[in-house]
Amino acid sequence: MKILNLIVVVITGAILIYGTMDMPGWGDPDSPASLHVSPRYITKTMEETATPNMVTSVLADYRAYDTLGETTVIFTAGMACILLLRKRRNGHG
Amino acid sequence: MVDFIVGKYNYWIYIVLMMIGFYAMIGKKNLIKKIIGMNIFQTAIILFYVSIGCKKGATLPILGHAHGHAGQAIQTSAYINPLPHVLMLTAIVVMVATLGVALAIGIMIYLKYNTLEEDEILKAVK
Amino acid sequence: MIEQAPVLIVVIPLIFAFITPLIGWWRKELCYPWIILSLTLSTFCSVITLLTVINTGVIHYHLGGWLPPWGIEYAVDYLNAFVLVIVSFTSLTVAVYSKKSVELELPEKTIYFYTVFLLQATGFFGIIVTGDMFNLYVFLEIASLAGYALIAVGEEGAPMASFRYVIMGTIGASFYLLGVGYLYMTTGSLNMADLARLLPDLYGSKVVLVAFTFLIVGVATKMALFPLHGWLPDAYEKAPSSVSALLAPLMTKVSAYVMIRIMFTVFKPYFSIEMLPVTTILSWIAAAAILYGAVMALAQTDLKRMLVYVLLSEVGYLVLGIGLANKNGLTGTILHIMNDACMMVALFMIVGAIVYRCGNREISQFRNLHRRMPFTMAAFVIVGLSVVGIPPTCGFFSKWYLILGAVDTSQWVLAGVLVLSSLLNAILFFRVIEYAYIEPRGGHDNGGESLAVVREEAPLTMLIPIISVTAGIVLLGLLSGRIVSTVIQFAIPACF
Repeated sequence: MKILNLIVVVITGAILIYGTMDMPGWGDPDSPASLHVSPRYITKTMEETATPNMVTSVLADYRAYDTLGETTVIFTAGMACILLLRKRRNGHG
Repeated sequence: MVDFIVGKYNYWIYIVLMMIGFYAMIGKKNLIKKIIGMNIFQTAIILFYVSIGCKKGATLPILGHAHGHAGQAIQTSAYINPLPHVLMLTAIVVMVATLGVALAIGIMIYLKYNTLEEDEILKAVK
Repeated sequence: MIEQAPVLIVVIPLIFAFITPLIGWWRKELCYPWIILSLTLSTFCSVITLLTVINTGVIHYHLGGWLPPWGIEYAVDYLNAFVLVIVSFTSLTVAVYSKKSVELELPEKTIYFYTVFLLQATGFFGIIVTGDMFNLYVFLEIASLAGYALIAVGEEGAPMASFRYVIMGTIGASFYLLGVGYLYMTTGSLNMADLARLLPDLYGSKVVLVAFTFLIVGVATKMALFPLHGWLPDAYEKAPSSVSALLAPLMTKVSAYVMIRIMFTVFKPYFSIEMLPVTTILSWIAAAAILYGAVMALAQTDLKRMLVYVLLSEVGYLVLGIGLANKNGLTGTILHIMNDACMMVALFMIVGAIVYRCGNREISQFRNLHRRMPFTMAAFVIVGLSVVGIPPTCGFFSKWYLILGAVDTSQWVLAGVLVLSSLLNAILFFRVIEYAYIEPRGGHDNGGESLAVVREEAPLTMLIPIISVTAGIVLLGLLSGRIVSTVIQFAIPACF
């Protein structure tokens, strides 16, 4: 059983490493990730959102809906913990 | 060849980290060790994402002297890519939430069976 | 109002969920009408969305007004809108049904149960309606977290089943996230439509191949496709009955939708079919899943556990249609998303009602059940016929399209598997019906006892959803030609 798990892990790792072969090198300023969507966040942040911190402007403006989802995740986790751990008042739960 | 290794080695390190976590998740019998493995896995993914955003010679994605120098053109290559950071802020929260729920379920299991070893619990369930 | 409908489907239950605990602290009994109200509004919005899509075509909703590759976009086409209507109707039905079973099983925790229940529905809506890969991940996690908690409050052994689901679910979600990361790295975009435009130039890239593999494996884990199904049987068997009724039909269908979306929208169909032999592999895995589910179901003596294995085999049908990757196959899958959601929700609600009245689920204890709960058992027979695939019910039509799809590609073995699984299902359901309807011969005292059985039908809040879904199964069967011609034929990708 241990061997089987190890084989699964090694295969997964090998597939992931196979994928890195065609990746742009680390810190490459001409990689697609730095050229396609993100330049607008960098150059237009002051103009469009009036926020010098680009992470903030993306988090709270361009992709604010993800942040709403993020808060909901926390709320879900909180409610889930109450649902799971709340003791019954009577009885010996 | 050297360029290739220098360009890729950090991804390989993250992948090794991920696989350590992945092995703990599927191979370990103790529930807390599984949860720790889950955290290692998710943290390695976060490191991987953050390294996508990196650019050589660039600085933090906060405009220096933003106020008062409005006319100045902003160089894209001067700041690292902010998007992966934003995504990972969300992913960190998701990770914390999953950890919380997993631990809460762990507490329930411990209160019921007084152990966190998977085989003992499965024996007790049957 | 109408142009806001796509976002309201998600936002209404979200806001209602935030308010639910407050309402609960004030008046505990108001939680139930509150979530019914919320899901009714959502259902209403989703119907409006479907009608708008039919009348005016694809809806693009830009959240916050930012244009797609930069901001998040809600893109609703025929496929989304159709699945949305199914999911919202199903969750509304289960919400109506949940009242009595929650009062019985979780009397102290109703407020938090309903809150998490509503968040679960929100997660499903968010997954379906979004047009952004990362936004999908966030809502997938909302749905999963709510699901872990809801399962863990079930009967003896539920926390352990839920823990295994947490581990497998997190692996699935993390694989999905890794896949999105790999795609982002080579394209720089997270928007599905934008990715579909950028990816064809990169199809030779190893990064894209690995990304595709991880996305599919991640979704398949969430869906409990055959070799990755380990977490499902325990989790859905031990969950509270209304939770099984919500999760069992919906989590698998929503994941099937995501799989179709990734394979045929984000990636072009020719990538999934020709560049990698994904569809061939998927169709054989699906055939294995169908047979495995049906055979394992035969071995069960517990009705709920039997249904869980039937569910595994139904997941096989969904994936089989995706794997066939032709017009009939995909029509079958999309039709089966609807039919299977109806059948599974009806079956799990019926089990819940039987447990509510009799307190056990052993098939051998079902003697005289048709006298005790005549309507519930009549519904069970009709749904059973539909799962087997007898013509007037809707289950027949989706299987028919799947078999046609298999014949179109001359995959005779797969067509044979479909027919064989129908036979196995017939044995399964007849066994239950036999126990419930046919009284044992001989033994005078036995006969005397059976006459004395009191009719004790399930409470109305359970019976009405069960009867209406059962009626729906027959009705949808009669209307399925119409559904295919107005919605589904536009929902399948254009190139087929």
